[in-house]
Amino acid sequence: MLKKFPVHRIEDLIIAREDTMNHFALTIIGRDRPGIVAEVTEVLYQLGCNIADSSCTLLGGQFAMILIVSSQEIGGKEPFIDAFSAIEQGGLSVFVRMLKPGGELHPDLRGEICMISVYGSDKPGIVYRVTRELSTRRINITDLNTKLVGTKDRPVYVMMLEALLPEGQTEEDLRAIMAGLKDELQVDISVRSITPVEL
Amino acid sequence: MAVRDIILYPDPILKTVCDAVETLDDSVKALIQDLVDTMVDAGHSVGVAAPQIGVTRRVVVVDVSKSKLGRDNNHGQLVMVNPAILEKEGCSTMREGCMSVPDYTGNVSRAERVVVQFLDREGVEKVIQASGFEAVAIQHELDHLDGFLFLDRVSSLKTDVFRRKK
Repeated sequence: MLKKFPVHRIEDLIIAREDTMNHFALTIIGRDRPGIVAEVTEVLYQLGCNIADSSCTLLGGQFAMILIVSSQEIGGKEPFIDAFSAIEQGGLSVFVRMLKPGGELHPDLRGEICMISVYGSDKPGIVYRVTRELSTRRINITDLNTKLVGTKDRPVYVMMLEALLPEGQTEEDLRAIMAGLKDELQVDISVRSITPVEL
Repeated sequence: MAVRDIILYPDPILKTVCDAVETLDDSVKALIQDLVDTMVDAGHSVGVAAPQIGVTRRVVVVDVSKSKLGRDNNHGQLVMVNPAILEKEGCSTMREGCMSVPDYTGNVSRAERVVVQFLDREGVEKVIQASGFEAVAIQHELDHLDGFLFLDRVSSLKTDVFRRKK
């Protein structure tokens, strides 16, 4: 049965409009050169899409874009695939995924945020071992990036990650866990709180 | 006197250079009380600047004594009229958020120690040296008087901007 709800306030109108929005996750990656962002966003502009959250960065020689976009008109991923075909022929890879309703909403994350720096001679398993310790303790990673630096002969691995401590776990607990890994992996690890201050 | 609503960006008041206070009259006294009331009411707040409650005059209140980071190093409740930073020293980075820019934070580098000159509540000329979190709070609030938000000061990208803990 179709029900009609009276709309009284502008807020209701905005919410009603939001409800009809579809959200998509887009990943675009390709060899870096000037102009990638402008080309990609021109396609999105022509499609009538809004860019909500996005993060774009240079990884090695590749420029990687991750975006959450919304559209009222587009109901599936096909229009994106068509619209991006020219860009793909130009050497960029494009991946599209339609989000389930609510998938665009930021979760209500609470708790202490810690930055963990891990660095040392490159060896297999650094990311895996550190993140497994976090995973088994239900510690949520909210941001992570790694970089291979140093020289060819003496490669150095650097990993920076932000983690959200669940209630009941402290910065000290995390520091103790990481101290154990430090010996096992023979790397340097430091932990510090980066919980934002509201001013 | 009154707890006032915090003005949110994009209200242009937040990008306005505020006017110096000429005389410490009743209107300024009322403004100071509103700033203190608003700061206290917003339980988590360690400072409020006049433009954040819609008044473009050079007045801020700062009080880090109730916060974990400022508890051991502070001047208690500071009322600052026509404040000016005379000296800055050192540099430290903190992830800041602002009541006027909800749901957004960023790493900001600021001086570690500042010497500030201002008129207090009674109109007496004061000069203090602040450090640590209190120095950060003072610099953040004084920025508001010149139309600067922490967004104008974010120091580096990558893992820098993250939604604030609720």
